[in-house]
Amino acid sequence: MEPMIKMTNVNKEFKVVKRREGVRGSILDLFSREYDMLRAVNDVSLEIMPGEMVGYLGPNGAGKSTTIKMMTGILEPSGGEILVNGRIPYENRTRNAQDIGVVFGQRTQLWWALPVIESFKILKEIYQIPDKDYKDNLEYYDALVGAGGLYHKAVREMSLGQRTLCDILAAFLHNPGVVFMDEPTIGLDVSMKTRIRQLVSSLNEKKGTTVILTTHDMGDVDALCKRIVIIDKGTMIYDNDIECLQQYFGAYRTVKIQFSKAAEDFENNVLERQAREVEMWLKEKFPRAKSTVVSVEDKWIQVLLNEEEVRMMKVINCIQDNKRIVDMNLQEITTESVIRKIYEGGVA
Amino acid sequence: MERKKRGFGYYAHIYKMILFQDIKSKMSYRADFIISTIGMLFTNIAGFVTFWILFLNFPDIRGWTYYEMLFLYGFAMLAMTPVQCFFDNNWNLNRSLYTGDFIKYCFRPVNLFFYFISEVFDIKGLGQFAFGVGTLAYAWNKLSLPLTPQSILGLLIGVISASLFMIALMNFAAATGFWLLGATSVMIFMFKFKDYARYPVTIFNRGFRIIFTFLIPIGFMAYYPSLYFIRPDEVPLLTFLTPVFGIVFFYLSYLFWMKGAKQYTGTGS
Amino acid sequence: MSWAAKISVRIRQSAALVRGSIMEGLTFRTSTFVTIIGNFIYLVIVYFLWRAIYDSSPTEVVNGMTFYDTMVYLVLAAAMFNFLDTFVVWDIGRSYQSGELVEFLVKPIDYQRFLFFSHAGNCVVSFCITFLPTFVVIYFVTHGSFALGINLVFFAVSLVLALVINFCVDFMVGTICLYTQSIWGVNIMKEVVVSLLSGATIPLAFFPEGLRQIVDLLPFQAIYHTPLHMLTGTDLTVTDYMQGILLQLFWVVAMLCFSKLFWQRSLRIMTINGG
Repeated sequence: MEPMIKMTNVNKEFKVVKRREGVRGSILDLFSREYDMLRAVNDVSLEIMPGEMVGYLGPNGAGKSTTIKMMTGILEPSGGEILVNGRIPYENRTRNAQDIGVVFGQRTQLWWALPVIESFKILKEIYQIPDKDYKDNLEYYDALVGAGGLYHKAVREMSLGQRTLCDILAAFLHNPGVVFMDEPTIGLDVSMKTRIRQLVSSLNEKKGTTVILTTHDMGDVDALCKRIVIIDKGTMIYDNDIECLQQYFGAYRTVKIQFSKAAEDFENNVLERQAREVEMWLKEKFPRAKSTVVSVEDKWIQVLLNEEEVRMMKVINCIQDNKRIVDMNLQEITTESVIRKIYEGGVA
Repeated sequence: MERKKRGFGYYAHIYKMILFQDIKSKMSYRADFIISTIGMLFTNIAGFVTFWILFLNFPDIRGWTYYEMLFLYGFAMLAMTPVQCFFDNNWNLNRSLYTGDFIKYCFRPVNLFFYFISEVFDIKGLGQFAFGVGTLAYAWNKLSLPLTPQSILGLLIGVISASLFMIALMNFAAATGFWLLGATSVMIFMFKFKDYARYPVTIFNRGFRIIFTFLIPIGFMAYYPSLYFIRPDEVPLLTFLTPVFGIVFFYLSYLFWMKGAKQYTGTGS
Repeated sequence: MSWAAKISVRIRQSAALVRGSIMEGLTFRTSTFVTIIGNFIYLVIVYFLWRAIYDSSPTEVVNGMTFYDTMVYLVLAAAMFNFLDTFVVWDIGRSYQSGELVEFLVKPIDYQRFLFFSHAGNCVVSFCITFLPTFVVIYFVTHGSFALGINLVFFAVSLVLALVINFCVDFMVGTICLYTQSIWGVNIMKEVVVSLLSGATIPLAFFPEGLRQIVDLLPFQAIYHTPLHMLTGTDLTVTDYMQGILLQLFWVVAMLCFSKLFWQRSLRIMTINGG
């Protein structure tokens, strides 16, 4: 099978203006400007098969949106090659746009003042969707999320959740091969997030659409994506199954500890001092357990450790020997903390 | 999915759909509609009052009588209607670039300029249209110009060609926003010219006459095409070239706009 | 907090706002260049237009104004327009519609004062890069058609007062936007009325008698006409200047009170309706 998206050694460079500080700087900027070259995407290669749902992750400014812009054909790479659906996207943006859908979490692409159904009708004409496909999709949407009730409401009168829902439906309306989603669940409440995730998952399953999801919400990733790609400072640092990622970190455990329940001991500096103490004890006793990290999180002292280096019980015993533990809590590592560990340079 | 050829018919059809829906939804915000229409009427009345006060003090300007000037005034007003009605979304361009919302226009399989411009139809421009028709009819009558099918056809072609110049000027102005912050000032600057399009370019000296004919072509927004009607004995070649120049100028502005859009989406964010 | 401390906090707050908006004003360097070029072209058009008008007139002096008088008046009015045109109406209207206004209201600074000083910085920039150069150019081009003496002092005072009156008008019109969705419509009505009745488009001297009498009773003429008249008027005595300033002061006080009152009343209505 041919991949839906194929990127080979893709680079992208930008020229950025250096701005100077203060009133004096602003005046100087009036007369002269200096530029920096910024490499936003660095040698990224990637293959995504039809029907895959891929989580595309990275900290802010990592190069995610630049990559997406190149895949959607509105940006030309400085080097390398991109193929979407067998075509070079930027060579014919409108042709490429026919086969893709895009969803932005907080920017609706529907007509603000129009009832949703009217937006859909306009989209039907713009994408030249055959009558039958259009009718089938509307029926399917109605069965899936009861969308019929929303159709006659203007977008400007909708809640953010309803709007996002309609935006997603609109993005799938012309049966595109790929849908790009940028933070689709941002700002939504828990139940709406779940609803949106179910919707995306059903649409992907039913239509076999490839979905590229950029998000900061690990809940989205856990619920939807089998595979994740992580990019940082323009370079791809991880591309594999989500299970593989968890396996890699499978030996990691989190132990949460409290030495006291008194309110004055929850002061941040008190906890911070205790954490440094714990760190010292552990370093002394287990000098080879290099992955151990002690931090403070919401009234708890949190110890992240790798069981391959040191057994969890030994760590607890060591702490207990030094100071009496009042309360304790053991946790499996979450995707969120795995990703954070990767951003911080945890994976070689 | 197979794509049919996307020509004029395709775009006209989509534009019509958006237009009707937009008008329908605008009508449902009655207060806004009424206030905007009154506001538009105010502008026109104020312009007229300025004009009237001027002629209270001076009987004619360089041999141009009150009614001849009124003809230019009405003609200019008609020529400004299309830019007001159909191309008003240019005024929102700068803001949508600033907030980053512009990106959402880039993912449709249609022409970017068309898609952006089609979003807004400014219905209050119709008030200006009515005012312009009234003024022009009054001046037409007072100057006892003949009303023939030929003159009406000429008027139609003249007004449409003249309107292309203003549209192009505003496209140029709005598109500077793709490169520069604060392009609204450029738009305001260009938009001001519409107030001077109603005066004969003969009031300027040679140098500026050339500038206002070829560089910032306000001469074509009323003066040159109007000569065909009010001074039929001294029609210059430029009058007949108005439609050609209009189309060329509009096309250049379109190219500039699209180039801007392309380079804007190329910057980070 | 003591009274002196309060004042010092206020001054520091205001200074920070002015500084911030000066920097913002400079960052938008396009606007400044465009405004300068725009003013130049505008100047040219106005020059030729009025040259033509006066050439067609049988007399040199019309309504007590020569061609040069009219030119100086109109050009300076246009230059003033650049820093008196503040977009306050849009600011209020948009921040109300987007809900940002509510956030402002909980900040420990009066909204009207906040807006005024935020725009004051921009005014300072516009004044320096558009008004002053225009002023100098017009002075030399017309070979000193206006005096450089005591009138400049009164003009400066009058200009500041005009700025405040103009701001109050904008603020009041902006407040109207809390009642109606139509910022554009409300704003354009204001602009049209202010620029016509303040003498910004045509000197008030050209107005027919009846219209002139009505205009004299309105605050708008204190925005453009009064300061410009002080600058360019030839046979004005100190009493005339003082009279003009006093009338402006009256309008400042009246408009400040009225705009504040209107704003507070409107806020109450807004909170009752649940914003």
